[in-house]
Amino acid sequence: MGNPPDPSQVERDRERELITRAQGGDRSAFAALVREHQDEVYTLARRLVGDPHLASDVAQEALIRAWRALSKFRGDARLSTWLYRITVNTAWTHKQRAGRHQGTSIDDHHELAAPIDASHPETAGEILELRGRLRVALDRLPDAQREVVVLKDIYGWSHAEIAESMDISVTAAKVRLHRARARLARDLEETA
Amino acid sequence: MSPVCEMAAPFIANAAVDGSEIFRPFRAHSSSCLKCQARHAAMARTARELASLHDHRFAAPADLEWRVMASLEGELAVSRTWTKPLAWSAAAVSMAAILIWRLRPKTS
Repeated sequence: MGNPPDPSQVERDRERELITRAQGGDRSAFAALVREHQDEVYTLARRLVGDPHLASDVAQEALIRAWRALSKFRGDARLSTWLYRITVNTAWTHKQRAGRHQGTSIDDHHELAAPIDASHPETAGEILELRGRLRVALDRLPDAQREVVVLKDIYGWSHAEIAESMDISVTAAKVRLHRARARLARDLEETA
Repeated sequence: MSPVCEMAAPFIANAAVDGSEIFRPFRAHSSSCLKCQARHAAMARTARELASLHDHRFAAPADLEWRVMASLEGELAVSRTWTKPLAWSAAAVSMAAILIWRLRPKTS
């Protein structure tokens, strides 16, 4: 008797099948993909644009763009990575359209309530306090700098991936990140 | 605070987040400067907090899926509304052009 199938492999196969069906025009398959990935897309949009309503619009447009471009998806990257790129581009377009949005927040009170890792030496109070200051400091960053921090330091993208999605050179992405972190550190220090 | 601390600050921030060594010209200074070491520790803590946000997800609005699918249905409906009349109009114009060409007065 063979080994039981690897659950993650089963999941990947199921997703691949849904993609193939959606590429053939099956809307119910695409709806299943939307259900699967909408939280990820919305979370990234929320972190990039801050405002929940704008993030909702960005997520909606990103998923519609994904449907239109699905025939071009070759499966070289994971679907979530591909959707992330579309979301970054969509957020960028929205911001250009709307100008500098007001009251952006990468990390609002809901996110402040994220679980606290008990393995860290800091107390829960210290971590909550840091999260509060981090939210303010990230809010203060210019959009382009906040995007690189979100993509690199939260999502772990490479400099090359960031450069590609923001349509800038790898060097420019590195410089932007360097400046963003320096500014973040300075702002955190000022609010300490 | 010394000017060296200020110059070293961005490099310390980057090294703390990336977990890499501090840019060489500032390494010796930061290893003996309490202020720079405190900055390094603070930024490392910030980096851990940023990374921990990766696993935290917001729940998408309950109607997001519906809105996406409704938009796609709308697009399809619009394309259905426009494509048929457009095709019929094009066919009618073509037929008219052929008839005009055939029925044109002959000039021998």
